[in-house]
Amino acid sequence: MTRRDESREGSTRALPRDAVQRLRNAANGLVGEIRTQQRRTLQPQREAESGGDWKSLFDELRTRIGTLGMTESDPQVDDFGLQADFVERLLPLLDFLFDRYWRVELRADWNLPSRGPVLLVANRAGVLPWDGMMLSHAASRLFDDNARPRFLVEDEVLRLPFAQAQFARVGGVRASTENFNDLAGQGHSVVHFPEGARGVLHSFRERYRVGSFESLDVIEAALERGMRIVPVGVVGAEEAVPRLGDARVLSRLVAREIDIPILPMTPTFPLLGPLGLLPLPSRWVITFGEPVEGGTVAEVADTLHDGVKGLVEQGLDARSSTWL
Amino acid sequence: MDKRHILVVGSETHFGRRLAERCRNRDDIVVHGVAVEPSPYRLPGVEVHRVDIARSGAESELVEVISKHQIDTVVHLAFREVPTRDQRADHELEVGGSRCLIEACTRSGVPRLVVLSSTQVYGARFENPHHLSEDAELHGHPRAHWVDHRVQVERLLAELRERPDGPAITVLRPCWIMGPSYLDPMVRYFESEWVPTVLGSDPLLQFVHEDDVLDALEASVVESHPGVFNLVGEGVLPLSGYLGLAGKVNVRLPRWVLAATTGSPVALASDDHAEGFFDYLKYMWVASGARAREAFGPPTYTSREAWIAMVGARRFDEPRTR
Repeated sequence: MTRRDESREGSTRALPRDAVQRLRNAANGLVGEIRTQQRRTLQPQREAESGGDWKSLFDELRTRIGTLGMTESDPQVDDFGLQADFVERLLPLLDFLFDRYWRVELRADWNLPSRGPVLLVANRAGVLPWDGMMLSHAASRLFDDNARPRFLVEDEVLRLPFAQAQFARVGGVRASTENFNDLAGQGHSVVHFPEGARGVLHSFRERYRVGSFESLDVIEAALERGMRIVPVGVVGAEEAVPRLGDARVLSRLVAREIDIPILPMTPTFPLLGPLGLLPLPSRWVITFGEPVEGGTVAEVADTLHDGVKGLVEQGLDARSSTWL
Repeated sequence: MDKRHILVVGSETHFGRRLAERCRNRDDIVVHGVAVEPSPYRLPGVEVHRVDIARSGAESELVEVISKHQIDTVVHLAFREVPTRDQRADHELEVGGSRCLIEACTRSGVPRLVVLSSTQVYGARFENPHHLSEDAELHGHPRAHWVDHRVQVERLLAELRERPDGPAITVLRPCWIMGPSYLDPMVRYFESEWVPTVLGSDPLLQFVHEDDVLDALEASVVESHPGVFNLVGEGVLPLSGYLGLAGKVNVRLPRWVLAATTGSPVALASDDHAEGFFDYLKYMWVASGARAREAFGPPTYTSREAWIAMVGARRFDEPRTR
């Protein structure tokens, strides 16, 4: 008796749940249909080849029906892999990092032209290009047209797994002269770190020492194009992602196996695992220098090197405290 | 008005047949074909000659055909659409056959030669720039013999270009071709609902629609376009973007798991190391189509549309038994 009661109770409970599930499925199907009705970007925009004969009609019908419901994921990607919709969704996070977390202070921002294309030359710190992202965020706020400069990323960083795809989504491009010319040709501003691998790999003890420029190719290409070059000093990134060592033993064991050229060690990484990739809340100062125009490559490079060095020192002096 | 005579070598391939079909409907062109095994389903008005260009002595047969019909343009499409396990036979057909064809062209003094290559010849490398131009070095891939053969053929063509008595050469380099009816191992690979990709990399990828390739082929036969052209659809998407667009399952596997499946993807059925294929899913090898756009006009389909055309057409297929 009791057993039968239980079973009956179970079945009455199961019935509405089933109905709810079915209703939900139906609603989902309906929403999907409406979505496909609304967005018709997916059909190939093709002119009829030979008038409206039955074959082209059939082709069109086939494509229409064949693509039903295929708008679920539709990333808008530009030639360099930047996903505009992803960046838009990321904007609140970038704003939070910029204003609240690192409290970035922009100094001498009148030196930045009000409109691109501009080549920004800066010092580099940390493996993950937080400085590139913040610099390009700062520039996009200062530009009249809010264009977002692309930042060039070193090979050593891009070879890390997942790096290529993730950085490309937010505007990172592999540092090479060809890519720079490509970007500049399309009218993009570019953030460039001419220190190259050394900028990424120096230890915390060597912080804010601007190394010699590894490659002048990009600067040369910018001069040939007559692009304005602005030196920038970024202060704060070194403390945000302090690099204590190279984890040599670990990297020899692990890194080669999984095809990673470098394994950075920070106070929290690899001890805390992926959490250790979170940057620390240091205070940042970004100082813009006067634009450099004309001259030979060597001269310009020297001016830029001294400029960046001076700007970093200025920024360090101007910063009241490292953390607070 | 005199009719021009063209010779399609490899007339039983997908593009060979479709090019012949298109050209025979024009009143200014007469199409001749060359095939190892002419199909019993003959196109009316197209004479297909039985020549095995991989065999030694095929040269004189080709020269005979060319001079007998006063061939004006030779279209070289005799490449394996599906690479086989027999790499030596593949080499004999693709490289040996091309050498033989080139020799026949110079001996008979054909004015124009059109060759279908692939942007895969640039190689899938980390160092590739965002847009490979036609002048980029051809690295090929040491572990993909079908790519390597194309590179060797391109070298032969570069030598031929130097010769003063050589023909005007058009080289068309399409990227991976997608479309409702084209079928090769790459399409087969992307056809399935579960697509294995390399864990940790998600390169930007481009496709070209089969009709755009055919249009370019026809244009380079009808008009004269000497030079090298990348045939690519406009726009790029990350690999995961394409798969998401089609609702396919992206199976991300570590590199070493994929490397252990040497000889796969099964459809490729070649004995090459699996890296020969998977490196093309690991690194970017996006080519710039600017030059082709200038010569042939903008392609009808973007990369995305080419992909959708392939996926959309497959939805009408009967479920295949697996």
